[in-house]
Amino acid sequence: MTAVVDAPVVKEPRLTRRRALRRVLRNPLAMVGLSVVLLAVLLAILAPLIAPFPYEATDFTAPAPQPPSGHHWLGTDELGRDQFSRVLFGLRASVVVGALAVLLSVIVGVPLGLLAGFYGWLDPIVSRLTDLLLAFPFLILAVGLAVILGPSLFTAVVAIGVGQIPGMIRVTRGETLRLRGMDYVGAAFANGAGDLTVLGRHILPNAVNAILVQATVYVPAAIIGEAVLSFLGLGVRPPTPSLGVMLASAQPFYHDGPWMAVFPGLVIVVLTLALNLLGDGLRDALDPKESGRA
Amino acid sequence: MNRYLARRLVESIITLFLATVVVFLGIRALPGDPARVLAGEESDPQAIAEVRASYGLDQPLPVQYVRYLGKAFTGDLGTSVRTGLPVTEIIAGALPVTLELAFLAMLVAILIGLSTGVIAAVRRRGPLEWASNSVALLGLSIPNFWFGQMGILLFAVLLGVLPASGFVPFLDDPVENLRRMIMPAVVLGSAIAAVIMRQTRSAMLESLTADFVRTARAKGLPRHQVILGHALRNSLIVVTTVVGLQLGILISGAVVTESIFVLPGFGRLTLDAVFTRDYPLMQGVVLITATAYIVLNLLVDLLYSVIDPRIRVGGAAL
Repeated sequence: MTAVVDAPVVKEPRLTRRRALRRVLRNPLAMVGLSVVLLAVLLAILAPLIAPFPYEATDFTAPAPQPPSGHHWLGTDELGRDQFSRVLFGLRASVVVGALAVLLSVIVGVPLGLLAGFYGWLDPIVSRLTDLLLAFPFLILAVGLAVILGPSLFTAVVAIGVGQIPGMIRVTRGETLRLRGMDYVGAAFANGAGDLTVLGRHILPNAVNAILVQATVYVPAAIIGEAVLSFLGLGVRPPTPSLGVMLASAQPFYHDGPWMAVFPGLVIVVLTLALNLLGDGLRDALDPKESGRA
Repeated sequence: MNRYLARRLVESIITLFLATVVVFLGIRALPGDPARVLAGEESDPQAIAEVRASYGLDQPLPVQYVRYLGKAFTGDLGTSVRTGLPVTEIIAGALPVTLELAFLAMLVAILIGLSTGVIAAVRRRGPLEWASNSVALLGLSIPNFWFGQMGILLFAVLLGVLPASGFVPFLDDPVENLRRMIMPAVVLGSAIAAVIMRQTRSAMLESLTADFVRTARAKGLPRHQVILGHALRNSLIVVTTVVGLQLGILISGAVVTESIFVLPGFGRLTLDAVFTRDYPLMQGVVLITATAYIVLNLLVDLLYSVIDPRIRVGGAAL
């Protein structure tokens, strides 16, 4: 009996999702984005094997900072450390924060959004909580958390993840509100399904697209967020390399070592651009309303 | 209408109240004894006890909170530990810099965002749309602090046409003031311009296909009048809210921009308070930010409901 109700519900999103996946695979810009993202993740994982120098090794055979050369591809910083090796290790911080911060916002935000959208009496409470989080601009929130937790990679993950929770809650809540009114949800209830079954089997699978789209916006934002926090001295701390830390230490050397400011920033731009291209492709493929416009 | 207004007002007041609790408790959750910090690290226990009593830190937390709130209401946010000046005075000194920066940045953002958004919508599938879209995508992908650094490298170091950093009050020397503010304003504005551009484009695409635009065309109005007078005017409703929603980016962006260009504004003050562990200043800065943010968001909501009646009907029905 349940199968009759379930069949169209569980199968349909899977079908549309497979079609969406095909559409993404046919989108050349999205594929370029995906390739760059995969390459970046690979480089970050394999950093110790690829890097020509240890990231903290200093080279004073020439006055530091050295300009880019065959020996030091991207030059060295003011302490004679190889920029290319440091960029590779810095990518690790970016990738870790990009993945974990968004994971945190999904783990906390999605269940809260589902519950708030599903149980009317919970909605005001959760909404006040999101409003409260939104009452502090992202960076102020991050600054506060960094002060309490002390600057570190972990702080960056928590600060950015917490900052993204309200958005995740709102998107999930909105989808839940919309889906709760669907006929098949009513049918599932009539069929004797419990709240958890309806939430888990009928609402969540159909809300995944919207959550996914939100996540594709949040991952590049988290990567830029890590760079900003580390740049300001609130995230990853030296000597651990992070692209933001590298850009901060480039500040006194605009005249003597402009390459110190150029390359780490270029890497961030290429990575976030790739993520945005991939995200745009996914959004167009998943959202039939938008796809006509792209 | 009134029900919607009242509901938004009550919500904002509750949020503001909760925000003061968070700020108050947050500062007390920090590692270290505030009395020891206030008295100076090397003070003897006697002096620390005196400071504790004089600041009321020996009272229970709820008592401290009520006292803090009462003082904050009368504009007394305490005294900065580092400089000994009233927090209110320090903030009042930094605010004009940030307000000027925010105003100029918004001007840049609206000018660039609206014009490129309209162009992208009108010249669909042409090279101009492609160019505007690419610029917007780049704007979203370039961290604005790095954009600022590249600006300094290009205009200050390489070309030497603009100063790299520093601030001159507008009343002292308007020309020098604008010369120093133009790069920060463009850097901060560009991040918001990208968002405005995307919203303008999609709103324009929507209104360009609407019936009233077809009617305007059919009755023979010139093309530019249809686009600017009819389509853009209706798209502005959406754009207004989007501009309002960028306040957070504006505030966060000001912290970063002021840090790169060494501007003595509110954002710089926030970071200084954090790094010097100046707790009263930190508390004041965060409280002012949260209050301004909540109040401005409320104003944007109200403005929006004035512009678009559908919102307040929909809002009241919910």
